[in-house]
Amino acid sequence: MMSAGASQSNTAHAENAAGRIYDIQGYAVHDGPGIRTTVYTKGCPLKCLWCHSPESQRYELELGYLAVKCIGTDLCENACIKACPQGAISRDEPKAALDGSGMIQKATIDRSKCKNCLSCTGACVTKALYATGWETTVDEVYDRLSRDRDFFKNGGGITISGGEAMAQFPFTLNLAKRLKGDGVHICLDTTGHAPAERYEEIMPYIDLFLYDIKHMDSAKHKRFTGVGNELILENARFLAKRGAALQIRVVVIPKLTDNEADLRKTAEFCASLGEAVKLVQVLPYHKTGRMKYDRLGWRYKLTNVEPPDDGFMEEVLEMFRSYGLNCRLH
Amino acid sequence: MVTIMSKFDVPLSKRAQALKDKRARINKDLRLNVERNRIITEYYKAHENQHPLYKRAGYLNTWCTTRKITIEDEDIFFGDAGPTCRSLHFDIEQTPHSWFASNFGDTDERFRAAWQAPGSIWVSDEERAYLLEAADYWVGKDIGATARGIMPDFFEAGGAPPFFMDANGTYPGHFNPNYEKAVTVGFGAVRREALEKIDEIVKHTTHDNTRKEMFYRAIVRVCDGMIAMSKRYAEGCREAAKSASPERREELLKRAESLDWILENPARNLWEGLQIVLFYQNLITADGTHWADSPGLIDSFLGPLAENDIKTGALTVEGAQELFDAFLLQIGNQIIMFPKPNNDQLIEAHANGKTMFDLQGGMQNIAAGSLITIGGQTVDGKGDYSIATEMMLLAYYRLRVAEPSLALRVNKFTPERIWELGVECSKRLGGMPQFNNDDVIIQSMLDRGVPIEDARRYAVFGCVEPAISGKEWSMAANCGMYGGGPPGLLSTVQSIIFGNYNPMMGGETPGPAAKKLYEYESFEEIKTEIEAQVKAGVDRASRAYQWAALVFETAWPCLSASTMTDGCMESGKDVTWGGAKYNGMGSMFNAVATAGDSLMTIKKLCFDDKTVSLRELYDALVANWEGYEMLRQKVLNEVPFYGNDNPEPDSIVEWMTNLWADEFNSRPGPNNGECNMGALDLYWVSGGKRTWATPDGRRTGDPLSPSSDPRPEAVKNGPLLYVKSVAKMPWVKLRCGGAINLRLDANAVRSEESTAKVRDLIQSYFTMGGIQFHFTVADTAVMRAAQKNPQDYQDLVVRIAGFSAYFTHLPVDDQENYIARYEIAV
Repeated sequence: MMSAGASQSNTAHAENAAGRIYDIQGYAVHDGPGIRTTVYTKGCPLKCLWCHSPESQRYELELGYLAVKCIGTDLCENACIKACPQGAISRDEPKAALDGSGMIQKATIDRSKCKNCLSCTGACVTKALYATGWETTVDEVYDRLSRDRDFFKNGGGITISGGEAMAQFPFTLNLAKRLKGDGVHICLDTTGHAPAERYEEIMPYIDLFLYDIKHMDSAKHKRFTGVGNELILENARFLAKRGAALQIRVVVIPKLTDNEADLRKTAEFCASLGEAVKLVQVLPYHKTGRMKYDRLGWRYKLTNVEPPDDGFMEEVLEMFRSYGLNCRLH
Repeated sequence: MVTIMSKFDVPLSKRAQALKDKRARINKDLRLNVERNRIITEYYKAHENQHPLYKRAGYLNTWCTTRKITIEDEDIFFGDAGPTCRSLHFDIEQTPHSWFASNFGDTDERFRAAWQAPGSIWVSDEERAYLLEAADYWVGKDIGATARGIMPDFFEAGGAPPFFMDANGTYPGHFNPNYEKAVTVGFGAVRREALEKIDEIVKHTTHDNTRKEMFYRAIVRVCDGMIAMSKRYAEGCREAAKSASPERREELLKRAESLDWILENPARNLWEGLQIVLFYQNLITADGTHWADSPGLIDSFLGPLAENDIKTGALTVEGAQELFDAFLLQIGNQIIMFPKPNNDQLIEAHANGKTMFDLQGGMQNIAAGSLITIGGQTVDGKGDYSIATEMMLLAYYRLRVAEPSLALRVNKFTPERIWELGVECSKRLGGMPQFNNDDVIIQSMLDRGVPIEDARRYAVFGCVEPAISGKEWSMAANCGMYGGGPPGLLSTVQSIIFGNYNPMMGGETPGPAAKKLYEYESFEEIKTEIEAQVKAGVDRASRAYQWAALVFETAWPCLSASTMTDGCMESGKDVTWGGAKYNGMGSMFNAVATAGDSLMTIKKLCFDDKTVSLRELYDALVANWEGYEMLRQKVLNEVPFYGNDNPEPDSIVEWMTNLWADEFNSRPGPNNGECNMGALDLYWVSGGKRTWATPDGRRTGDPLSPSSDPRPEAVKNGPLLYVKSVAKMPWVKLRCGGAINLRLDANAVRSEESTAKVRDLIQSYFTMGGIQFHFTVADTAVMRAAQKNPQDYQDLVVRIAGFSAYFTHLPVDDQENYIARYEIAV
């Protein structure tokens, strides 16, 4: 009796697995077919140089600081400074307030001292200091996503993205199961960098894998993302063989991934996956994530890279098409 | 970049391009339409003894028979509001004498700097002298003076009348004239009908039908005028043909033949149909009512003409498209001076290299709020889309013009291609077309008591206001603004904070006695007080509307409408006498989110959490938050706001908007029609400047929330929940319309499938009960660039509220507000 009860409670626990996410976005029009809402999990085994969501990389909650919201620590009587046990926050040089109300001294963070304890985020009334994510559960996320259901006509639905959603497997798997039970169309946006058995287990609940192929040369892949590409390519082949539907995403980054020979290898690989590849999205690198690095106190490394021009992207698109692939820009 | 639009991007024909170039040229060299004001003034002066109806009929007839006929080389269609293309129209009888005195009566030097400098709207010395003299004539006789004679207590009470009856007096405008009847029946038939009615009446004269006889006699005069005008244009064509190239001569002689035929008789082909619409629009403008008057369902009766011309080979498809292009430019060339600038503004504008045309764009669609409705349903409930629907959309798409506005009706019959064109057009041309949900609007008409066959034939006028096309005398006014005027959502909220004191203007507000915020015991008590304020406000507003209607009934008939509007000929009554088959009085509330979020703040902080006392909040508001920044931040960061599908703030908005709609819709309207509540605001930026600080954290002078949209900064969960919140408003009851207005980042519509996704979003909103949908695609970076180099962005069109505007014409404040508007960036 005891063990049966425990097992039941374990199942119930798994069904409502805990997760850590950093955003939920409605009308995520680039994350699969139709109108979609995307949930973004926190933590990723890859550390791509061009990552546009740096807050997605670490599993740990970190301190984010949106300095533009700080109204100066005079008004709040140094609330954050007092709250910080590490003495990591101090008053910045006086600067003119944006609303023209005079000179103010905003908070400034010494990241070398900050231990991400997040005490200051509770003290900050303006929410200029904030945690880069939150703890949640399958139930909570399911309820939130369900509110968007009225929009999921014509193939729309939910996308589970990251970070790497497969790194929080119990959460991702159970969320997918739960939504699939309602007949919702589900995309999983993945780096491909997770054990194959997890892909096997989640496959029945995923309508479409949004699958990144970043580079075919493993050494370069490791230099750009921190990991080699063997597992990623192997999983892609595995999923293709098992009949999963794949939408491959190839980001074209000048100087890093825009070499024609390299891109051809990627196209060849996509073509080799056969029927499984429903679409290849060729995506131009963009810089919109840059300011997010400032909020974390991180340095953006691709400072000397500009987005590729439209003409070049058209050429890349044509090249992919020449491999018989169904392709799209953006 | 390859886009799917290449298939829509058929280049303009040489002639259409020439007409577009002509417009750009004339925009730098506009003329005031003095002619119309000279004709009306001289007629009224010479016929002071006449009944108002005869004065108006006589003036319109004289205008038709004496106006200058202009035929220019590029013209495909003929007839502008004034003697030259894009003559800037105004009505002297509704322009305050003080405007002439201070601007035309200014020193010669300042007058010249304002009205005779390069880029100004040229007024000659002779015209200046004439208008000053004419303005003197209208003192004591203008619309405002008549209104004061009929409803003096409303003016004495401090400006409670609706906006079209402001200090100057303004024609009510705001209706869908019956262009279909003008095109398919003609003025000749109406004239014959009037004569037959007179014959009958003469045989059986009674008190009542004598009044009708007077009406029919006036109608005959108007029809005579219109028929004569068309023949005068025919003569003009024959004259111009004498010196034209052989090809142009042949065209002009063909047009002359048509012009001899039309207006008296129904259109036989597409050119004639379009030309009748234009002439009728000329008449309406000359009548002084061209104020949000809107051609409805024109594709419905132009479609068969176009299809027939193409079938018989009289026109190629390209030829038909060229006619629609030329038509759109021509109807958009009927422009109105609104607002009326003063010499200081003009001199400053000229010093900054701007023109008066630039000043006009920001406040209003320069075509005076005119709105073309296309698509919809037939009387028997089938889809009503034709080649004309498509060609109208293509004309807008390719010409990139913001005036007049365009409304597309959508329903289960709307063809794929029309959806696709509609979305693509609006992507390129912010908010054009606006999308109208047939399901909700037809239901709202049924709720008014309109039979289904007429309900299916609604069109939208002005900004978002639906009415029965060609059968309704509709008016619309703003129920409740800032400062003076009848109360609105926000002023009722202000009244439970400041009592009867108006902190912005100083002095008493007109509502019933109210307490100060800190005197309330519970949120329920506040709600009860708001209910009382709303009721009293609607009492005042509906009373003002009835009186205003009486002003027009007494002194300012609208024969251009009555000639064609269903019901008038049958009943022998002018529209202002209640002759139309349907009558509607619309009213709009504004700043839904500012009002709702303000109440939510009071509820959450002062009653639920009890973390802030009512007194502290009151003091903070009186101080315009100065010294209370921490409290303001608490409000901004702790209170749940409208726009996030959050049940509590949304339910406050639902409660308030239901309260207004139920109260207003239950009142009898003028001419025994219905009162119809709506939700729209054009001036939340300038209105915000006149509104004191509000509990939602807004400072004195900051913009209000736009119409029924959430405050941009309050949207925390993205566009889908934003849309769900707005959909909760009781749109079937808000039957005077109101649109969600989204701004999409260009990145969100870049992919090939984005058109279908935008359509999904619109349809989802409509399925949830939304009534109208507008969107604009504009990147912040593009708008910043347009601010720096306006000359390179003359075609950048953005949706403001019920109208779209050229971004570079907006005042800087409005540009900034637009950039700050919640943006769906993906």
